[in-house]
Amino acid sequence: MLNKLFSLNRQREQLLKKAPEGTLKNFLSEPFPEPSLPINQVAILAVDFETTGLDLKNDKILSVGFIGMENSEILLSTAYHRIIHTEETLAEENVVIHQITDSAREQGDSLEFVIEKLLNALAGKVMLAHYARIEKHFLERACQKLYGLTPVFPIIDTLAIAKKRMDRQTAPYSPSELRLPNLRAQHGLPAHHAHNALSDALATAEVLMAEIEMMKSNKPPPLKNLLL
Amino acid sequence: MDPELKEIYDFFRITPPFDQLPNEALERLVPSMTIRYLRSGTHLSKLDESDEKVYLLRKGAISLISTDGQLIGKLGETEIYSTLFTQDENGQFTAQTTEDCLLYTLPAKVIKELMDRYPPVNNFFAKSAAQRLNQTVREKSKDAIINSTLMNSSIAELFNGPATTIGSSQNITEAAIKMTEFNHSALLVMDGSELVGILTDKDLRRRCLAKELPLTTPVSTIMTADPQCITINHNAFDTLMLMHQKGFHHLPVIGHGTVAGMITVTDLMRQESQNSSHLTGLIHKAETIEELIEASKLLPSVQVKLTRLGASADHLGKSVSAITTAITCRLIQFAEAKLGPAPVPYLWVAAGSHARYEQSSHSDQDNGLIISDQMKPEDDIWFETMANFVCDGLAACGFSYCPGKVMATNQKWRQPVSIWNSYFNSWIDTPEPMALMYSSIFFDLFAVHGESKFLKEIRKKLLNKTKRSTLFLALLSRNALKLSPPLGFFRDFVLVNDGEHKNSLDLKHNGIAPIVDLARIYALSEGISSVNTINRLRAAAGTPSLSKEASEELIDALEFLGTLRIEHQAKQIKDNQPADNYLSPKELSKLEREHLKDAFKVIRSMQKVLQSRYG
Repeated sequence: MLNKLFSLNRQREQLLKKAPEGTLKNFLSEPFPEPSLPINQVAILAVDFETTGLDLKNDKILSVGFIGMENSEILLSTAYHRIIHTEETLAEENVVIHQITDSAREQGDSLEFVIEKLLNALAGKVMLAHYARIEKHFLERACQKLYGLTPVFPIIDTLAIAKKRMDRQTAPYSPSELRLPNLRAQHGLPAHHAHNALSDALATAEVLMAEIEMMKSNKPPPLKNLLL
Repeated sequence: MDPELKEIYDFFRITPPFDQLPNEALERLVPSMTIRYLRSGTHLSKLDESDEKVYLLRKGAISLISTDGQLIGKLGETEIYSTLFTQDENGQFTAQTTEDCLLYTLPAKVIKELMDRYPPVNNFFAKSAAQRLNQTVREKSKDAIINSTLMNSSIAELFNGPATTIGSSQNITEAAIKMTEFNHSALLVMDGSELVGILTDKDLRRRCLAKELPLTTPVSTIMTADPQCITINHNAFDTLMLMHQKGFHHLPVIGHGTVAGMITVTDLMRQESQNSSHLTGLIHKAETIEELIEASKLLPSVQVKLTRLGASADHLGKSVSAITTAITCRLIQFAEAKLGPAPVPYLWVAAGSHARYEQSSHSDQDNGLIISDQMKPEDDIWFETMANFVCDGLAACGFSYCPGKVMATNQKWRQPVSIWNSYFNSWIDTPEPMALMYSSIFFDLFAVHGESKFLKEIRKKLLNKTKRSTLFLALLSRNALKLSPPLGFFRDFVLVNDGEHKNSLDLKHNGIAPIVDLARIYALSEGISSVNTINRLRAAAGTPSLSKEASEELIDALEFLGTLRIEHQAKQIKDNQPADNYLSPKELSKLEREHLKDAFKVIRSMQKVLQSRYG
């Protein structure tokens, strides 16, 4: 794990050399948090995307939501949410899920503008997502498209943390218990407005706080125990 | 508004005092907050907080514990724990999570800005429990004032003056001409400048025409001599109640020592848009027990009507009690008609809430008979028969027999003046548990019918004695302190002192009775003869027993609790359920719960004062 992050910071430095001037270079020039840092001292950005589908190759990011955490507190002042102006019209079955209509999409911002905001906010922080594979791949692909380069990100995945915790227990569990709304219910957290990118990001951040509280013995665990 | 933070905004919209804020204020507040998650068992004071914070509990529970380890409150969802302005009535305390908590932290700076701009936020954070309660009661009573101008009027604003008078030696024809000329239904009969009687058109019918008296008879023969008068500055509502009780339609009004005019029930009723007088009319007209029973069936509907009109609990208590007095008086008149006149003078007294004029619905009867010391042993049979007749009649009219047999039918409470005096003396001198129980019943007495001077004399003696009886007052206080208000609410439960949860709030025993008990102790300590709780608290204000501020705070608390009770009972009566004192927290709005907590705090703080005085 330590090696992995060490190599992550090394990879970042390597990539920095190749990065074009601008947002991506700025992002890569900020060192990632030290893996030995207690988790409460790590700056975290909870991120969620709504996408046109789950096909990593062809589907597009529809909206981006994120919110920051510092000193074990979620800062509402850092909350951000944007809808992206994608070209193709939206499949009806997806509109039902994320409730982003074509007219909202048409008034959205460009992918470049929103990804810039995200990378600026993410610089020097750990990215948090629930089932982070989606956010990781869509973000990598967007960067490749916008900057011709795929960066690296330190990531905390609440699904992975919860799975690890439940695997350690002897009682069998259903995989559906790992879904965000069910995890929240498990931690006694209130129901949330699922499938809105900011709401999901906030919901994920709250679940992380609860998971950290469960991991705590007498002091907060180091970042390396939580990284994906 | 960002729809993605909808659940946060929705939460603020149901959470006092933020539910009073416009959207733009919420849009300023929400981005300034932070969210944290605390495991059960975390001390909030141990969080590294250098500045003041306001915590809003989104999920979980927080217990407030005093420095001596007592639970003083428990917070649930939507409740606020604030380190702002911590001059709390409870003194120093610590806060600890007792469930895993999701907390919204609001910066003091933003809250202070909102306080400057929005009065509801200011009231919530800056004011003490007593101040908040005062404001609530003022707002609640606004409706009552609009609906009941009588409460705020004196006779001076309503009476007819100057009086239409007639000389006592003038004859009936002259009186009839004058009445017709002035279109008045009554005349004041004067002997020079002195009021000697009142003559109504009913007197002309009943005492003249029906008896075929010659029209040349002087009015003095058919007038009611020495009529009861009312002074010009008397409260209009109290006057109406007096007239209801006695069945008077006209009262001469005295101003500056001379006859100023006359007030009639009609004058008062024009102001009072409801029907308690219709009911007392039926009671006075009732000629049989059956008619009286029929009339008293209307009492619950009068209670509902008065409540719907926004009457205060005080107003309602006086109306219902006046009706009970009228029913009792009518029953006594029936008894006298049946049994013949009493062998010796007597006084029928009411005890309990009827005596205090705080009855809210058909309550149990509490009564007794104070009989002249001239009474001979063989006279008791008359009084026993009469008491049985009246108490049975009251029961038939919906006033259940007293389970503790505090009734005139019980020989113990049907005694001559001297025995009553010795009862009070022994209770005060030997305050054993039974004596204390009787004290709290019989120190609240009201003269319903008969020689009211008996009660005046007894009361004068006992008040002289109680003032000086520290041991008696100490034991009575200790007894009174056994009933204490709950700590507050936790979720949909009532939180009681030992941290237990209950499903319902007993408004009577855990709210109203403690105030009634406090007021009685103040009255007995200070020699105050009133029995009505508000009157006692007013009279005690500024004495060593009770400060002016504390008096007003207790009156506010009583009015708030009383209003909740009459609204609750009006709803039950309307739903054809028996009226009771048990309120489910589910019936209460968040704001009402906050106000109730404030009322409990006021009561508890006054109980503490009493405890340290006699403890």
